[in-house]
Amino acid sequence: MYPPKLGYVIAENLEEATDFLEKHEDAKALAGGHSLIPMLKLRIIRPSYLVDIRRISNLHFISPGSDEIRIGSLSTHYEISKANIPLLSETATKIADPQVRNMGTIGGVISQLDPSADYPASLIAMDAKVKVKGKTERTVSFKDFAKDMFTPDLNPGELVTEIIVPAFKDYKFSYQKLERKAGDYAIVGVAVLLKTDGESIKDVRIGLTAVNNTAVRATEAENMLKDTRISEEIIEKASAKVMDYANPVSDIRGSAEYKKKVTKVMAKRAILEALKR
Amino acid sequence: MKVIEPDQKTKIHLKINGKDYETEVEPRRLLVHVLRDLGFTGVHIGCDTSNCGACTIIMNGKSVKSCTVLGVEADGSEILTIEGLAKDGKLHPIQEAFWEKHALQCGYCTPGMIMESLWFLSQNPNPTEEEIREGISGNLCRCTGYQNIVEAIKEASTKMKANPK
Repeated sequence: MYPPKLGYVIAENLEEATDFLEKHEDAKALAGGHSLIPMLKLRIIRPSYLVDIRRISNLHFISPGSDEIRIGSLSTHYEISKANIPLLSETATKIADPQVRNMGTIGGVISQLDPSADYPASLIAMDAKVKVKGKTERTVSFKDFAKDMFTPDLNPGELVTEIIVPAFKDYKFSYQKLERKAGDYAIVGVAVLLKTDGESIKDVRIGLTAVNNTAVRATEAENMLKDTRISEEIIEKASAKVMDYANPVSDIRGSAEYKKKVTKVMAKRAILEALKR
Repeated sequence: MKVIEPDQKTKIHLKINGKDYETEVEPRRLLVHVLRDLGFTGVHIGCDTSNCGACTIIMNGKSVKSCTVLGVEADGSEILTIEGLAKDGKLHPIQEAFWEKHALQCGYCTPGMIMESLWFLSQNPNPTEEEIREGISGNLCRCTGYQNIVEAIKEASTKMKANPK
């Protein structure tokens, strides 16, 4: 399989890339390319030019701070998996396979916004922010950035430059992914962040991916757990509540009914696993 | 900024197994084809969809699937293929271990398996069986059922610890 004929632009800095992308609306930015190149080979897309942004070094960093962690959009899943970021590093280890994690980037994932991608469950649970740059720079919440499946809040000539997540010190966490075969997209993915004080839960965040058009937070389930004493009963009830936030569609990865039911199972696993840590 | 038009070819430089190469490519040319055309036919094309890992090479120190990288994208890279592993007629410890443990039948997946093992063992020199299985989860073998491949990688880790380079 060969990609279609296309032009290629090597941008040395962000301004060159965004200028070219603004003038050529049918051009596409190339970061890790591990969604883009397969789509080119299948001729799902036929961009006029690829704009190679891989050499723009100021998009390639991870900078931990005491309150928040800033992640450059060209950071690979491998780099994020090694960066000790609560929840997000663990999520990165569950993406695809090792070779893909060596190339794929977080900026690429959220610009592509596949509804079954792994990061969105964690990013929504973490209240992540996304920095976008075109002619001007703006910062939006990940929740607003992810408008719909495959539809990020990006105007022509805009690129994701940075993802910002709170530090979540003293939080326990787990990302549980159910997959049909090794390296596949999620059937369902559940991200949980928890803060405990002795036997009670002080704060909890639950994010879901693959069971809606975009990632969602199961807020009612969170509220059931918040400020309660940890018990099997309350975890069971909250996990059942998480199921209300799953509106999956039937596809090759399973029927809608099955996916809805396993959402409860994976939610319970994620809560129990987080509590164990 | 460099602009290559759709019908235009461009020169790229690659360092492959320690030697410099220069070749002309169209922007749409995939790295796996570039390497095979230069004679590195140990880089196999299996599924051509980023799944099977038969085309795995080391690019700038990391394992990648060369069917999902463009030649132009790799310009200036250092590349290691299966052809670069044996030194002075002596097999690399991973190659030896694959031989000794009978880790191949048809052999089609083997170059990719070995290149991924090389990267994996550089990250985790002392792996458990479970970690090995996770480590080669991006490589498919349709003959062996993986058992002997896992044993070979375990054996290679022991050999490489005994004889570190």
